Amino acid sequence: MDRTERILDLVALLLDAREPISWAELREHFPADYGGSDDAAERKFERDKAELVELGFPLSYVQGDDERRDGYLVDRNVYYLPEADLTKEELAVLYAAGSAALASGAFPGRDDLAHALRKIGFFAGESLPTPRVRMELGTGQEGQEKEVSARLETLWEACSAHKWVQLTYGSPKQVGVTERRVDPYGLALRRGVWTLVGYCHLRQGLRTFHVHRIRELKANTARPRTPDFEVPADFSLDAHVAYFPWQYRFHEPMEVTLLLTGPLASRAGSLFPGAALEPVGEGVTRARFPVTFVDGLARFVLSLGADCRVEGPPEARERLERMAARILEKHALVEGPRVSA
Amino acid sequence: MSNVHERLRRLLFLVPYVSKHPGVTVEALAKALTISREDLLEELDLLTCVGRPPFNPDDYIDIYVDNDRVYVDLDQRLYAPPRLTAGEAAALAAAAELLRPATGDALQSALTKLENIIPPAARERFRDMYRKIDATGEAPLALGPLTRAILERLEVTFAYASPGRPSEPRRVRPYELLSNRGQWYLQGFCHTRQDARLFRLDRMEDLGVTSTGFQPPADARADVPNPARGASEASVRVRFSPTAAPYVKERFGQDARPLADGGVEVRVAGDSERWLTQWVLSFGGEAEVLEPASARAAVARAVHASIGS
Repeated sequence: MDRTERILDLVALLLDAREPISWAELREHFPADYGGSDDAAERKFERDKAELVELGFPLSYVQGDDERRDGYLVDRNVYYLPEADLTKEELAVLYAAGSAALASGAFPGRDDLAHALRKIGFFAGESLPTPRVRMELGTGQEGQEKEVSARLETLWEACSAHKWVQLTYGSPKQVGVTERRVDPYGLALRRGVWTLVGYCHLRQGLRTFHVHRIRELKANTARPRTPDFEVPADFSLDAHVAYFPWQYRFHEPMEVTLLLTGPLASRAGSLFPGAALEPVGEGVTRARFPVTFVDGLARFVLSLGADCRVEGPPEARERLERMAARILEKHALVEGPRVSA
Repeated sequence: MSNVHERLRRLLFLVPYVSKHPGVTVEALAKALTISREDLLEELDLLTCVGRPPFNPDDYIDIYVDNDRVYVDLDQRLYAPPRLTAGEAAALAAAAELLRPATGDALQSALTKLENIIPPAARERFRDMYRKIDATGEAPLALGPLTRAILERLEVTFAYASPGRPSEPRRVRPYELLSNRGQWYLQGFCHTRQDARLFRLDRMEDLGVTSTGFQPPADARADVPNPARGASEASVRVRFSPTAAPYVKERFGQDARPLADGGVEVRVAGDSERWLTQWVLSFGGEAEVLEPASARAAVARAVHASIGS
């Protein structure tokens, strides 16, 4: 019998049973599948049981007594999906975000997400909203969606099962690639880019990896149900992945103050989330926040134009001015057409 | 995940779905399961062999296609799908975080309800897995009202500051929201311009949802904005230093032409001066516009403006 068919038969049998079903009975019911030697039959059943548990099937073994015999039983109250009674708004949020993430082609746990969406829509009937939210996530350049999606799926499974992964990584900062074994702690999405955070055995510490820069990836398949590592209780993904260029941890934190004027004054909060904001006179906002990569901030400030100025400290201002001078030098007026090297 | 596992999950949903929607068309069922018509017919074939011992005729699932519609007469207790697994709930919760800043209280209450329908034994695992995907903080607040306006097909008004122009009022039929590289856009029909337009959400102010309804066109799908690889004639040559080259190559692939000094050169569309100057400045001196001269001058002007010289 096909394995899918056998497991579905088991589901139907156990959902219908009022009394525990013993191993001997199971062997009688499935003579062709659980026949053969005791050892082989038990191993096969163990694998099927593990699959049922993976499916979330609430199977338990009941020790018999005078009233009841030993055997396997399923708690029907736990098996069936109950109505979640989601309001229209709640359903819209879950459905819009879930389908957008799914359609983006790069979201960890795609299969899980697809099943979850179907299930929450099961009771919704006609009121299921048509999502009109679309996201392009996670790829460095066009055409990489498939690879990134496959890697995210492998990483999601490895994160969930606490299994280490072996990866080949190509960082733009280095020539060539490195081979690393990493304990994957989690995945974070920042400005459309997926980052893996985990313990790198090569560097003996926590490291971050852009998923689109992973060239090859393999998860440890040995003893799939035994975790390879534990994630420290105080670990937080957010503490390791930067949202903005000035948050890369290259230097000790330095408090920087910016002055925002004109149309930027009212956008200070969204441009620099988390900054302490202070209104300074008519249409001027002062923003103060810690910076660990001044060059990253300088580039961003330059790109904002005349309405964003660095007030202090002097080191940050000097850094920005040096950078500006370098750009001006490169863009000085030249005679005749330029030829590239 | 193994094929058997995926197939089982699908089939444990399929039977209850048909049970709840008797007479669902083959096409609609295949769509609900995101599989092809051929694969669905194969699954239905398999299900006719499924049942419980002792496998008398009444012990089999009785599922069949009649006139291109699917019916189930005996579902063998598969009348509702299994509960959400910890992994399913975690993936859904993590995806919902993508819209968190825009969803008000609806997301929190939805997540609480979601947690309540996971088997109690799986809740700890759900919380553990949910923490393993962090996709928060990407969405602007305007996403909430705009999503509602799109769903309810209501026109919106806002003040929009186009680059280089003062803010002006717009009235728009919102069709679709699009996120690209962390930037959110609204695609819709702009009454003010009498044309389809793409608006950046971070340039909108005073957003209001009107009570004027509209019928969206069936094919309202926005192109992903990418001035670096736009359809227009690429006309600006930009050279990058060896330091910046690997990052540029990563984004442009073969369109980044290698130079003898280890740097690279790319050509980009030059129809948006603002985009071009911002982009060049964001490389902080590692990028140089080679030609045309007008674009070089624009970069120099932007730097002077930034440092107030």
